[in-house]
Amino acid sequence: MQKLSISRRALMAGLAATPMVGMLPRPVRAATGSIRIVMKDLLTTNPEDVAHIARIEEALAARGHDISIEIVDLPSEGYAEKLNLMLLSGDIPDVIYFQGGDEQIAQQGALMDLRPMIEGTEHLAPALWPHNTARMDNYPYLLYVFPARTKAPVMRRDLLESTGMSAPTTLEEWDALLRAIPGTEVDGNPVTYGIIAPNNTDELDAVFDPAFGIDQTWLQDDAGTWIHSRISDGERQKLAWYASLYADGVLDPEFVTSNWEVKEDKFYTGDVGVVMGTAGPVVGIYEAKMAQVNPGAELVLLTPPAGIQAIDVSKESRGFAVPVTTEQTDAVVAFLDFMASPEGQLMDRLGFEGEHYTRDGDTLAPTDKLGAWYPRFVYDNPNYYQPPISPLSELAQASLQQGVDGFRADNTFVWPADLAAAVDGAETYYRTNAFRFISGELSTEDDWDAYVQGWLDAGGQAMVDYAKEVL
Amino acid sequence: MTKLDHKSSAAGGNGNVPNPDLLTAEIASDQWPGDEFDTPGARFRDGVREWWPYYLMLAPGLIYFALFHYLPVWEAKLAFEDLRIIGPNVWVGLKHFAQLFASPAFFEVLMNTLIISAMKIAFVFPLPIILALLLNEVRSGRFRRGVQSVIYLPHFLSWVVIAGIFIAALSPADGVINDMRDMIGLERRSFMTESGSIRWVLVWSEAWRSTGWDSLLYFAAIMSIDPALYEAAEMDGASRWQKMRYITLPGIVPTIATLFILNVGLFLNAGFDQVFNLSNDAIRDKIDIIDTYVYRLGITGGQFSLATAAGLFKGVVGMTLMLGAHFLSKRLTGRGVW
Repeated sequence: MQKLSISRRALMAGLAATPMVGMLPRPVRAATGSIRIVMKDLLTTNPEDVAHIARIEEALAARGHDISIEIVDLPSEGYAEKLNLMLLSGDIPDVIYFQGGDEQIAQQGALMDLRPMIEGTEHLAPALWPHNTARMDNYPYLLYVFPARTKAPVMRRDLLESTGMSAPTTLEEWDALLRAIPGTEVDGNPVTYGIIAPNNTDELDAVFDPAFGIDQTWLQDDAGTWIHSRISDGERQKLAWYASLYADGVLDPEFVTSNWEVKEDKFYTGDVGVVMGTAGPVVGIYEAKMAQVNPGAELVLLTPPAGIQAIDVSKESRGFAVPVTTEQTDAVVAFLDFMASPEGQLMDRLGFEGEHYTRDGDTLAPTDKLGAWYPRFVYDNPNYYQPPISPLSELAQASLQQGVDGFRADNTFVWPADLAAAVDGAETYYRTNAFRFISGELSTEDDWDAYVQGWLDAGGQAMVDYAKEVL
Repeated sequence: MTKLDHKSSAAGGNGNVPNPDLLTAEIASDQWPGDEFDTPGARFRDGVREWWPYYLMLAPGLIYFALFHYLPVWEAKLAFEDLRIIGPNVWVGLKHFAQLFASPAFFEVLMNTLIISAMKIAFVFPLPIILALLLNEVRSGRFRRGVQSVIYLPHFLSWVVIAGIFIAALSPADGVINDMRDMIGLERRSFMTESGSIRWVLVWSEAWRSTGWDSLLYFAAIMSIDPALYEAAEMDGASRWQKMRYITLPGIVPTIATLFILNVGLFLNAGFDQVFNLSNDAIRDKIDIIDTYVYRLGITGGQFSLATAAGLFKGVVGMTLMLGAHFLSKRLTGRGVW
């Protein structure tokens, strides 16, 4: 009877505790298995990759996981296309890094919902960034625990000082600064243009969209009807401002035929004053290269006039997926959870001890090679873990922080396959006409209504109709 | 007559020389050549046995075409299916064609393809012919060979490099073309972003790249013209222009006709590499062609079935055009591709 009472108490306690189980860190079960992983730039021909994987296997073994990891080689050039072809041929690894092209495969039900796998993990779940969580809610098939790829505007500190202005905070101040840059001298040479964005206006939009009221992709008009920002009044005002910058020689007139290499070259050689770089490592590269080309030159991080552009949380644009065909789910979870752990982060973010950093007791010091190392798998949210030393400069870290502080979720969503042609048609129409407005070939005063109708006809109407259902 | 008799009659007593007596007897008996001996299979076997080194040399080409050109034709059925990486594809009939033709962008892309192809045929196709005729008139062999070497070179440059050259040369800020316009008092223009000029950039960059190389075929055809015709014409007092007009040009008409028909067959191949590298957002709606559309939507967008439908449409139209040109040429000139 006494035994029964104890059992009953234990059972009741167990039942009472059951709802809390999901909230507690779930110790990863000792996993055994063999994982095949395909990832861009992860190659057996790179001894650093092979050694990195080998030490991850050892560390997993020390935690009781008997997991072997096999790298599936795929050329980095045209990776997304080659990956699709490999999957179509029936070769489906256990962990697949997608850089586009995943939607079609997810829509076939071939990719796992990763949320149950991540939920309750000891390190992986708390390591997620806010945008990861939002994206997983909308599209749970890709995981990419890295900072959001926000754009951060930078310029030379001495150029800013030469203009006699302080760092801008409002659109008016930005306008004044950009117009002051052309002709201002640095190192005895006048800067030609105020700003450049490669190929299209994306990088400009990343900084200036919110200043024109474009704080989301889908906006509601006064009547509460959803309209796409591409045909909004804010877009019209923004394009008119870009056009004035273009006409006055502030915006580089060749921006649309310039790729990112041309952009950087013009920045380092003093042709252009302000550029936008991807927050984090890319900003760090700009800083290092600028100092290399112009010894002593420093960069200053600028603040967008009304916060950064809303971040697309419809889905991850790249990341890891697990196919439903895999029988290695436990091993994959153990692997990813380890990579998010402090030990895994030390490996993945700082490289090899003795080569990329040195250790003196508990003190770590970076070597010159740390800048050449890059994390492969996971980059924890800084609120969960930060490495003792950072390969990123203060400026690069500040640019990341700008993205974290200014995080706002966009309300865009994943388009169904049936609308692919409509989305492509509308986007092509927008891109060409946006340039024509900027270059002055079209007028935002006279040609706007025709442009709006053209955008709707080119596929925009189908997008709007679908958005009304979704939103 | 028995099978053995056929063999003996064909091979003869010593295995190489037919026995005339037996041949005569067979003809007299009206039973030679017999059905069994004269079958296509037998002729093929004999042909292979006799010409096997040539068939061996032909084999890699045949295998290449079978693997990369004929086998994939079967996979074009993807245009009628929804693709599945797990499990069999799902047959959806003409769904992807309906989706394609319902897209306004597709007709814009089709129109761009037709316009660019037509411009290339009209302006680029005659250039190698003219160049070959002009080169043929150059007296100095050394000079001619030097010129030929130089004009072949662009053919070996990739479109990535050529695009870089043209973008730099046409730059409104410091491009050599605009510098020259500046010198003669013309305004600087952004040829790469103006909707009115970008198709001409495609045409003339294609001409720059391929005219020299393509003239090789015509020059080879000119070289095969009987020199006696020129000698006879000279004796009759024909001028150089008359020799070109009445001997050289008619002599290469079969080559021109064949290449024209093949070009018409490739009419919808407006040049993926070229357009892809010379395109930019400012003028994409003017030079987006079927191939770039298929690449963007299908390969990078993962819409393989839709892209296959567009590709199949292009293939069928191309085949129809080529057959049409072939039969028209047969009817008008008596010559075609075959």
